[in-house]
Amino acid sequence: MLLPFVILTDLIKMELAIELILFGILMGLIFAFISLGLALIFGVMNIVNFAHGEFLMVGMYVALLTSTYLHLDPFLSLPIAAAMGFLLGIASYRFLIKDILRGPMVAQLFGTFGLMLFLRYLAMFIFGPDVRTVPSGILVGKSVLLGWVALDLSKVVAAGLCLGLFVVVYWIINRTKLGRALRATSLDAEAARYMGIDTEKINALAWGIGGATVGIAGGLLAHFYYVTPTVGMVFVLIAFATVALGGFGSISGAFVAGLIIGLIQVIGGQYLSELKFTFIYLMYFLTVVFRPRGLFGW
Amino acid sequence: MKKLIVATFISVFLVLSFAVMAPAKEIKIGVILPLSGALAPTGKSLKEGADLAADIVNGKYPDLKISIAQWEGIPSLGGAKIKLVYADHRADPGWGADQAKRLIEDEKVTGLFGCYNSAVTKTASVEAERAAIPFVNPDSTSPALTKRGLTWFWRVTPHETWFTADLFNFLDGLAAGKARGVGPVGKEQISTLAVAVENTEWGAASLTEIVKFAADHGYKIVESFRYPHKAADLKSEARRMMASKADCYLFAPYIADAILFIKTLKEMRATPKLIWGQDAGFIIPDFYKTLGAAVNGILTRDLFSPELGKVKPEAAKINAMYKERTGFDFSGSSARDFVGIQVWAHALNSAGSTDPQAIRKALNDLYISSDELIMPWKGVRFGSPFPGDTHQNELGSGVINQYQGWPDGKLHVVYPFEFSTANLIYPFPGWK
Repeated sequence: MLLPFVILTDLIKMELAIELILFGILMGLIFAFISLGLALIFGVMNIVNFAHGEFLMVGMYVALLTSTYLHLDPFLSLPIAAAMGFLLGIASYRFLIKDILRGPMVAQLFGTFGLMLFLRYLAMFIFGPDVRTVPSGILVGKSVLLGWVALDLSKVVAAGLCLGLFVVVYWIINRTKLGRALRATSLDAEAARYMGIDTEKINALAWGIGGATVGIAGGLLAHFYYVTPTVGMVFVLIAFATVALGGFGSISGAFVAGLIIGLIQVIGGQYLSELKFTFIYLMYFLTVVFRPRGLFGW
Repeated sequence: MKKLIVATFISVFLVLSFAVMAPAKEIKIGVILPLSGALAPTGKSLKEGADLAADIVNGKYPDLKISIAQWEGIPSLGGAKIKLVYADHRADPGWGADQAKRLIEDEKVTGLFGCYNSAVTKTASVEAERAAIPFVNPDSTSPALTKRGLTWFWRVTPHETWFTADLFNFLDGLAAGKARGVGPVGKEQISTLAVAVENTEWGAASLTEIVKFAADHGYKIVESFRYPHKAADLKSEARRMMASKADCYLFAPYIADAILFIKTLKEMRATPKLIWGQDAGFIIPDFYKTLGAAVNGILTRDLFSPELGKVKPEAAKINAMYKERTGFDFSGSSARDFVGIQVWAHALNSAGSTDPQAIRKALNDLYISSDELIMPWKGVRFGSPFPGDTHQNELGSGVINQYQGWPDGKLHVVYPFEFSTANLIYPFPGWK
């Protein structure tokens, strides 16, 4: 019962408050960027990609393998991770999603669920269940002191890059012809087709862009997080909560919700660590029940 | 009359000759292990440890300075050989109990041995109790197993409670100057503890034990919490540990969280005097393979180290034999199964019979000295070291190892102090 009082008195101490907010924003930006592709695909096609975490895992393995075997700095492997994510997204659409879209809703759900299992256990078969980390890199294992707060350099750069890429994607969606086509398809695919938009191509592009963003997120995450075939599971639930809170399909919603969830998990970890994810999923539950369209959804 | 005496002599001579020439009797011991499924690699190494011990009992190894290497079978049973009859329990308690029954009824084993998984040991040992034959357990660590009051069950390995006790005995010894290469540190230097455990049954049990022993030994827990298993981020948890200004950080995580905790603490430039991990995530090869030099100075509880050969020459020789057969060093598990078969051999030799009651008495009265063992124990003697324990080896001990000289380094034993294989690195050197 005293917990709210304890939190309040702690937060009055500026030092702790600043640290928690900093940690929360850094992780929040990364959570938001991980969720971006999920929001984008849902926004355009009304389909939940359960394999989103596995797309992230693929991006992480790209960074791990290029740095381990090609001795390429993991930061420089980000374009490769993006390309792999893009191709994986396009291929998933062309060879799976396009067909199951014609089926009932449940087929769509189980289709991406199957893709998730396929990618996870394919990785398990190829790489084994070992937990690995990127061995070295210009950002790996380095920290910077911001006043009295030590921050992981790779997290700072990752968060900055996530912010920049968010702006780029937001600009593409809202300011370009391609973005208008994406938005038109998401609002009414049939009407968009009548207007001459190749909705097939737009759908594939949505999957491609979604895959590329989460591929980059994976490449960045691999700088400071371990890599294993099941790692997607850790983040995909957070991504679902983020997208639900922000509003399914909303880019700006994913951004704000990512920050909120980043802060919740950091503050939760400070006071009631064992329940920190419970707070996040409680928020997910409450959003779905009381405001199904989320903070920014339509 | 003369002919009768000669005939009698010849008959006696022939009977005795046949007795000498006849193959020595076999003593069957039923060994129940996880030989298939996810634990198959572990089961295989346990089998290899037990097989090596049985081969040493049955053969002659004059270079080894332990009793069983000189015996060529069980001496008091006319050189009878030990035969291990294996059964796979598939990590299934029900199946394990069925296998115990089968070994007792069909194979007519003298006794049972196994089963690694505490849950299986629990059910299989009940079958031995029903049949009134001895069950020697070398490798299951659930404290409850020796608190059931069974009369046909003996446990050779130390159990979980012990491992936490080891930590506090280590801290007491460090304070008093018993650690190799470190003078008396003074208790006030290491008296505050911060404890992070994963939010699982094992993590919670570890925390309970640590809280209990800390109170008994006069240490103060200034921070303790459970965190979600496989967390996406442990930044605020690491921050809590640092903010507590505790001297010692204690962890009970599995591999993924162990790596994340150490990476995060390194990133935040934490400077505790001591970092200790409760086995599991801290001893899996992925831990030191992924963290490399960042593991130097970290302590982990364990059961064995190949480095023990430096202070126990016979352990080095037996480990070399094991490595020649398998390509690997002994692990804590395979080494304990080796010792378990040693216990069986000594008990049979003391009993001088395969009668269950005689073996039972021999096990109750058994004493094997430290020199005979490859484990860093004071010996084997069954008693009640913790309240409620029965037939628990009271001379056993876990070990505390320290990572030194990584990425190409070793895990050195730093506790028990008498078996230290290197000077303790104290305080924790931090990360550059």
